[in-house]
This record gives sequence, C-alpha cells and structure tokens, in this order.
Amino acid sequence: MQKKILEFTNILRKSGIRVSTAEAIDAFHSLDELSIDDREIFRDALRTTMVKRGEDVPAYDELFELFWSGFYDNLRQAFGQATAGLEAFGMDLEQLMQRLAELLRASGGELGDLSELARALLTADLNALEQLIREAAGQAGSGRIENFLQVGFYSRRTLDQMGLDGARDELRDLAARLEASGLSAAEAQALQRLIEGLLEAARRSVRAFTERELQKQNHDYMEKFRRETLLEKSFYHLTEDEIRRMREVVERLAQRIKNVLSIRRRRLKRGKLDLHTTLRRNMSHGGIPFELVFKQRKKDRPKLVILCDVSSSVANVSRFMLQFMYSLQEAFTKIRSFVFVAELGEVTDLFQGGDIGASIEKALDGGDVINVYTRSNFGYAFHTFWQNHLAAIDNKTTVLVLGDARNNYNDPRAWCLRDIHLKAKNLVWLNPENPSAWGFGDSVMDRYMPHCDLAEECRNLRQLSAIVDRLIL
Amino acid sequence: MFDSVEKVRQSLAEQAYICDAKIATVVFLANRLEKPVLVEGPAGVGKTELAKVVAAATGRNLIRLQCYEGLDEAKALYEWEYSKQLLYTQILKEKFTAVMAGATTIREAAEKVGREDSVFFSHHFIVPRPLLNAITSDTPTLLLVDEVDKSDPEFEAFLLEVLSDFQVTVPELGTIRATRRPLVFLTSNNAREMSDALKRRCLHLYIDYPNAELEQRILDTKVPEADKRLVEDLVAMMQRLRELDLKKVPSISETLDWARALLALNASELTEDLVNQTFSVILKYEGDVRKAQGELSKLLQRKTAEAEAQAPSRAAAPPAAAVKKGALH
Repeated sequence: MQKKILEFTNILRKSGIRVSTAEAIDAFHSLDELSIDDREIFRDALRTTMVKRGEDVPAYDELFELFWSGFYDNLRQAFGQATAGLEAFGMDLEQLMQRLAELLRASGGELGDLSELARALLTADLNALEQLIREAAGQAGSGRIENFLQVGFYSRRTLDQMGLDGARDELRDLAARLEASGLSAAEAQALQRLIEGLLEAARRSVRAFTERELQKQNHDYMEKFRRETLLEKSFYHLTEDEIRRMREVVERLAQRIKNVLSIRRRRLKRGKLDLHTTLRRNMSHGGIPFELVFKQRKKDRPKLVILCDVSSSVANVSRFMLQFMYSLQEAFTKIRSFVFVAELGEVTDLFQGGDIGASIEKALDGGDVINVYTRSNFGYAFHTFWQNHLAAIDNKTTVLVLGDARNNYNDPRAWCLRDIHLKAKNLVWLNPENPSAWGFGDSVMDRYMPHCDLAEECRNLRQLSAIVDRLIL
Repeated sequence: MFDSVEKVRQSLAEQAYICDAKIATVVFLANRLEKPVLVEGPAGVGKTELAKVVAAATGRNLIRLQCYEGLDEAKALYEWEYSKQLLYTQILKEKFTAVMAGATTIREAAEKVGREDSVFFSHHFIVPRPLLNAITSDTPTLLLVDEVDKSDPEFEAFLLEVLSDFQVTVPELGTIRATRRPLVFLTSNNAREMSDALKRRCLHLYIDYPNAELEQRILDTKVPEADKRLVEDLVAMMQRLRELDLKKVPSISETLDWARALLALNASELTEDLVNQTFSVILKYEGDVRKAQGELSKLLQRKTAEAEAQAPSRAAAPPAAAVKKGALH
C-alpha cells in the first residue's frame, strides 16, 4: 500500500500538482486514522492532505480514478469471459481443476511443477496475475510510453517479460499430456478452449494495462501543456476559449502585482519620526508623546498614456495589455488610452463604466471614434496625437505604445514620436514581433527605436507581465 | 471527540450544518491529526459557518481573527499597552523618586530604574489579541482566521510560525507555548493565491457550490417551514443560474435568503412575477438580473409545459375552481 501511495504521489507530481514530502507523510498519517475501505473517504483523505489548490482538484480526481480504480476490474472482466466459456461444456472451473489435479497426480506430476504464470493463468488467480503484469510492465518500461502508436510495442515487451509464450507452450503441453493420460474428449476440448481463452485474456489485459499507462502519461502531458502554454503562448494564435481563460490569468497576475504594490506603499509610510508634528500634536497630553507621527515619504504614481494599435494583427496583445493596465488602475494617477489604426481616437471614456471586459471589446472595435477597417499608418496616427493631444503629456507621464510598427510603406513621421518622447517621463514601446524582424519589410521599428526609452518584444503573457512589473515597480 | 467520519457528519447535522463526506472527512482528520484546515471556495458557501459549527459541535471556544489588508502582529498577536504604561509612570512618579533616592549620578539612577523595568513589560501591560488568546487559553479553543487571503504576504509568513509550532515569542516575556493545541480553520476566497508554505502546513478543503440534492437538504434543514414544491423550484432555478456567466454567482447563503424572502411573501410556488420582484435578493448586479430574466422565463415555461403534460386533468381544474369562487360572491 505504502508503495502504491508513493507511486501515486509521483504521478501527481508529474502532472504538475505540487506534493511535498511533508504532505505525503501527512497522507500516510491520515490513512492511519481512517479505514481505507470506503473509497470516497480514502480519496478525500488523500486529496485534503496532498492537493492544496482548487484548480488542481479536477486533475486529481481524474488521476485518482485512473490510478486506483481498476485494473483489477479489467482483469476480472477479461478472465470472466474466458472461464464463462466452460459453462457451454457443462462444467465449471473448480470441477475441471479437481479433475486435472487428479489426473496429474495419477501421472506423477502436480500443478506446482508449472511456472508461476502458467499456474496463475490456469487457476485464474487474478491477484497473482495483476502482480505479474505490474512487475513485467515495470521491467518493460511501460511507464515511459509516450503516444498511442507505442501501445503495441510496450504490450509486446510486457508479454515477453512475463514469458507468456513459455506459459502457452507449457499449458498446451499439459493439455496434450492429460489427454494422453485419459481425459475424455469433451473434457479435453473444454480444457483447450479454456487455455486459449485464458491466453487471450492475458494478452488483452496487458494491452489494457499499457493503455492505462499511456493515459496516465498523457494526462501529465496535457496538464503541463495547458498550464505552461497559456503564459508562453503567442498572442497571435489564441482560440476563443483560450482568450477567456487568459483573462483569468491576467487578472491573477494583476492581483499579484497589486499585492506587491501595497507592501511597497506601506513600507514608504514607515518613515522617520516626525519630531515637530509629534510634539505639536501631543501638546494636549502635556507634552507626553501618546501619539507618534512619522514622516511620510511621498511616491508619485505615474500617469499613463496608452497608444494601442488595434489593427487585427495585434488586437490580442492590445486586449490583454489594456486589461492589465485597467486592472491596475489604482497604481496610476490617471490612465488615458488611445486607439489607432490610421486614425487615432481617445477611448478613455469607455473605461469609466464598471465592466472592463466589455469596455475593452468596444475599444478594440474602434470605440465609435475611429475606423478600424483601414491599413495601419503609424505616422499619421502619431501626427494626429502630436496635433491634438500633446498637452496630455507632462514630465510625470509614461507613454506606452503598443504596435508592430508595420507602416505599409507610409511616411513614419518619427519626429512626432521624438517630440512625445521629449515631453514624457518615459516612452515604452511593446512590439509583438520578434526583434530580429524589426526594421525589415514595411516595419519602421528601427526609425522609432531611437525615441524609445525601452523597446521590448511582447509576444506572450510572461513577457507582458515582466514588462508591467518593471513599469510599476 | 469524533470517532468516525459518519459521526462528524451527524454532529454537524445536529448543529444544522448539512455537508457531504468530503467536508466531514477533512474535519475528522483535522481533529485527529491536529492540523490546521485551509478552507477555500467561492463566497457564501458556508466556510466561516463550518468553523463555527465545528466549534459548537466539539464544545470549543471560538476565537475569531478577521483578516484585512494591513493587519499586523500588533493587532493579531499582542500589543504593549503604551498608554497604560505611561499612565502608571505618571502615577508612580513619587515611587520612582524614592527608588532613585541616593543615586548621585545619572548612570546610577538609570541602573536603579533599570532594575525595575521588567514591571512594565509583564503580563499586566500586555493586551492579548486573538492569536495569543488562542494559544494561552486554558479551555479548548477553535481559532478561526477568516479571509486570510485579504491579509498581506508578510502576515501570512508570520502566521506560519504560529501554525506549525503553536508557539509565539514575545521578546520581553520569552516563548509562550500552547497548553492545548487549538483547532485552526483558515478561510480564503481566493482573492490571492496563498503561499505554498502555508498550504503545506494545512489540510486543504475546497467547498464548492452544493449540488441540487445537497442544496435541497440544506434548505430543508435551514428553512423547514418552506413548501416542498417551492424548495424544489428554488433549487432548480439556482442550479441553472450558476451555469450562467454571471458577475456574482449566487451561492448557498443567497439561496437561503431567497427562500426566507419568499416565505415572508407567503409563496408556495415560483411564479415569474414573484421571482422578478425578489431577484434583488440573489443577484447583486443589474447586468446579472437581465441575463437571468431570460433564463427564468425559459425555465418557467418548461415547467408549466411539463406540468401540463403530466397532469392534463389538473390543468383543466382551475377554471372549475374559479367558477366556484365566482359563485361565492
């Protein structure tokens, strides 16, 4: 049992559920306290001691089913079919076994002469068989199976390891010997049938076992894949479902940053003792300092101006970036957001309402202020900004530009960006393209780069959160 | 104490808390292993309630520590009573003069006072907060750390020390060890992920929205006077609502509120009007109400269709009753 639990722990770990040694020990302790006959309680006990995240529960449940329930049931089914065939001959397994033993003894042999596997097969001893299959599969390395095409291979190897061919010869040999020593024709036929049935059942069980191994491994793979990729996956290829789940991830990341912020702000409050104010405030206590006052250092929160390219090629990046920024609203004094393709328009007002998600979708659609069905023209957009909104920028403003700088061979008008840069505290450009592609084709990133304090590739959530981290901290 | 999982369930049920085997198992283990329990789950599924009923069922004293942003050791563990200390120094001024009498230098005077300073840092001047109370209590206690996700990461780290050893160190007094280990419940709404270190030290319990059968049993226990049919309708409606993409999904506490509200209105069955009037009890956002209304009419239509299909004779009955009623007038 102990071994099996350890094995299960390993499988949980492989699927990305963190189980520490201390937790595994807790699991053992909990099983000391409970009877493990009740499957539900057993499952809950292992879960509560080892799985500590709500999101992991579905994965745990699946794995638990896979691991603890039944291979034994599979075996019983397979061998049940094999022995059921006997009834057609009007005898049951026990009867036949007795008869066999008699005959064997008469001819000077006994069942004990057979190999372990052959004996287990003949007596349909499921516990022994399960043990044998598990051992053989372990030696054959079934745990390393990776895809469906390998099921045949590993099944074969497991069978070889078990020595099923040997057992088959033994059993056939036995049948022949018994027939020679006076088994009736009907009995002989029944025996033959039984042996073939048992062999087939063994083969099928091994295959089933291998498939289960594959499922376990596959499960690990799928889980890991799901979790890691969302952070790593490029914004360019996201399905609807992924966009939905991504939103949750963004929310969680934003929450994390908020936590860090709150600590930092509190630390700032713990300044030095402000002697002047303390004395003054405690005059009413006769100068005895009941209330202490500390000097507070001030930390100015940045103002943020976001310029978002919302052309279809980068819409997803804009989406998450806007969500990120507006989830962190309190970290900034003010956020003004503009969207552009060729025309540029302000969409700050859209975000006055409560629901960030809906506002973002509206903004990405042009927010009734710009036409999104044109070809990108960064130069024109920056020029418009320079003409109409340059006053929005002062020396506390961080300007965040998001776009691929694919300008369709229009005039880049980099001087507009230069002026913006001169007025702002910082200018950060996030480009969803790989830096090696910047400046090639119709990309004018190289022309804009000199005017950026920071130009970064931002292709997935991990990069995005790293940049946001740097912006605020 | 509890000797089996089933026993836990029974004693919780006696406290009018209906739960499944999952919750009972965790409570049982927490009792046996003396480990803290971290209860997570959406708001209003009865996390805090669980701690309360466990306290009642085991006869423990409930000590509650409500977490919030900015909660620190001084408010959770202990605090020196600064004003009291000051007050005493004022009152005892003359005594001090007496103590210092005979001292010729400042150093000598300071030494003399120093010999007495432990007076001011003794149990007399300490204000115990929930954590210290839980540890020093002579009677068995249950410590409920509510909404631990609202606290700051530093506080969480500090909590770790308390939870693993059940001892705290007050520099002036030394280490205080728990005479009786309190049973600890921490609840979290998942506003932020708790650290792995904390999770490792706790048993974990995730309470989700109850399934229909469980919800019905909860309603039967908590609002026994409600009509059986009404309860069924209510539960069906709630289960449907939870599948919608709502901003604030109504949970079991809302179901109970709703049942009580409907009861106050003397309802014995859900009708569209009635639901529309009382939607505000379960849905807290305008957008959610609008979404739910569409769903509601669908559900009620299906219900009437089913009722008609099942009992066409009963459907025909009301007119007759109406006639009778009319005859009375």
